[in-house]
Amino acid sequence: MSARLRAVSNDTRPAVEVRGLRKTYPGGLEAVRGIDFQVAPGEVFGLLGPNGAGKSTTIGMLTTTIKPTSGSARLAGFDVARDPVAARSVSSVVFQEPVLDKALTGRRNLDLHARLWGIPPSAADRKITELAAAFGLSEVIGRPVDSLSGGQRRRLEIARALVSEPRVLFLDEPTVGLDTRIRYELLDLISGLRGRTGMTTVLTTHYLDEAERLCDRIAVMHQGTIVALDRPGTLLAGLGAELVELRVEQDPAAALAAMRAHGLAAGDAFAVGSTLTVPVGSRPARDTIAAIADLGIHAEAVTTRKPTLDDVYLQLTGSRLAA
Amino acid sequence: MTAIPTAPAEAALTSPRPAARPHRLATWATLAGRRVMLSAHTPREVLAPLVTPLLFALVIAPALAKMIPHAGPGGADYSTFVIVGTVGLLIPLTCTFAGIGVIVDRASGARRELLAAPISRSLIVLGNMAVAITVSLLQVAALIAAGWLRGSHFHATPAGAGWFIGAVLTFTVFMYAVAEILANRIPTQEEYVGLTPVVAILPWFLAGSLFPITALPGWLASVARVLPTTHTLALLRYGVLNRGGAGLHDIWGISNTTADAALSLLVLAGWAVLITAASIRVFQRSAVS
Repeated sequence: MSARLRAVSNDTRPAVEVRGLRKTYPGGLEAVRGIDFQVAPGEVFGLLGPNGAGKSTTIGMLTTTIKPTSGSARLAGFDVARDPVAARSVSSVVFQEPVLDKALTGRRNLDLHARLWGIPPSAADRKITELAAAFGLSEVIGRPVDSLSGGQRRRLEIARALVSEPRVLFLDEPTVGLDTRIRYELLDLISGLRGRTGMTTVLTTHYLDEAERLCDRIAVMHQGTIVALDRPGTLLAGLGAELVELRVEQDPAAALAAMRAHGLAAGDAFAVGSTLTVPVGSRPARDTIAAIADLGIHAEAVTTRKPTLDDVYLQLTGSRLAA
Repeated sequence: MTAIPTAPAEAALTSPRPAARPHRLATWATLAGRRVMLSAHTPREVLAPLVTPLLFALVIAPALAKMIPHAGPGGADYSTFVIVGTVGLLIPLTCTFAGIGVIVDRASGARRELLAAPISRSLIVLGNMAVAITVSLLQVAALIAAGWLRGSHFHATPAGAGWFIGAVLTFTVFMYAVAEILANRIPTQEEYVGLTPVVAILPWFLAGSLFPITALPGWLASVARVLPTTHTLALLRYGVLNRGGAGLHDIWGISNTTADAALSLLVLAGWAVLITAASIRVFQRSAVS
């Protein structure tokens, strides 16, 4: 571990500290409506939510490309509004869209990042060589970026962000638009980052498997607010051990209301389209299924299964959308 | 015996340790270097900017001089008069095309990486400007050298060279700042390129490049007197042509040519400072929403 990161690990201050952060765009669109969270040093924190939930605006404010309307945010103690250059000096971003200079070689791209972040040339050379080897880019690092494959470019972008040994790494939808094989490759790579460097990572995604696999804690965002924030396991536990899932083609909302009226479904049951998802709590699932049949609800299909993060997410965001 | 603290000192909690930050000059050099690498990474990209000055110095100016064989305004031969006037076209074209890089950075996403860097964002504008100045100086040097080889008669004293270089540098700063503003305000490359004739070429025709501004209709001559290009061309000719102060006299109408030159350089510098400040502001406003 380098001296730079040893200093980080001794720092007890939150790596990311967000208080009452709010962004209202000209025209009145409230993209983020006063959010609060803290991320501890070394933690991998996920911002999860559908498109338009406010994740990218939040990342934009934390990376100083979007000016907060009110509230505050600090990176490693530096206020992003009052001391943006210092806040940027302790962070790096992997953007959703590729942002490499395609005409330049991979090494040149990494070297430019190192220079802009004030890394001494000899240390930068060493770091670039090390990262290229670790990310399987040694063979292609000297080639122009526009000759690299999509997966190689993405790995190069992550390597570039790591050249400056950031205390906080932002990964904004890092796997969006990639084919499945490259996506899984990248997930392996990202999950290995924490073990290798100990830095804090803030990840935005709408892929739930990514969040579950990579994140220590997850904040679910919906319509500019955080509707849940906890460890993935705790969020899952909130839905109990088992779920009943029904596909009801005719008037699913009425079916859900009837189940609630008869105590078969509680407030945590939700409907997305024609699918009703009902946490059963301590009651055996077969009893719930039988009681639903007794109510005269005609279901095209009925299944039981364990809850996933998808259910947490849909319960927190999808049901509200449906409502 | 000294007590060993078991908790971090308060000062450590309230004074976060910043990471290393590059020196402003080093950052500026890095940004300029990036722009050079992006705009000159093939021999074609290095040589292409020299085509226009060479064409004007070796072909167009001499050809026009054949059509107008008598001496140009102020006593210089017409070919030399036009060659110096060509500077007023080269610099705006170079700066306008440099502005395309700003649009490409924005469209390709590369600008986002620069915005995430721990640097003053004004340096991004100034780094690009440095490259536009370098390319402009290279073009002007090629133009003057080719004109001299072709037989043009320049009459430069050290003071004259000073006026000439001062005008070239100040005008380039002004023109690049204009290009930066347009590139940050105009959404597409197509729309931006469509504006090039208006920004780069139209003022050149009105600014005394091919004929004195006194030859223009009265109201148009008044318009020409406020154009930075007019002040630039008048200063350039004052600097390197024998009895080349006629253009300055056409603008100011006072008998002291050095005072005329100082006033024109002051006007140019004022425009350059004002528009550069505006360009940095426009860039920062476009970068942060």
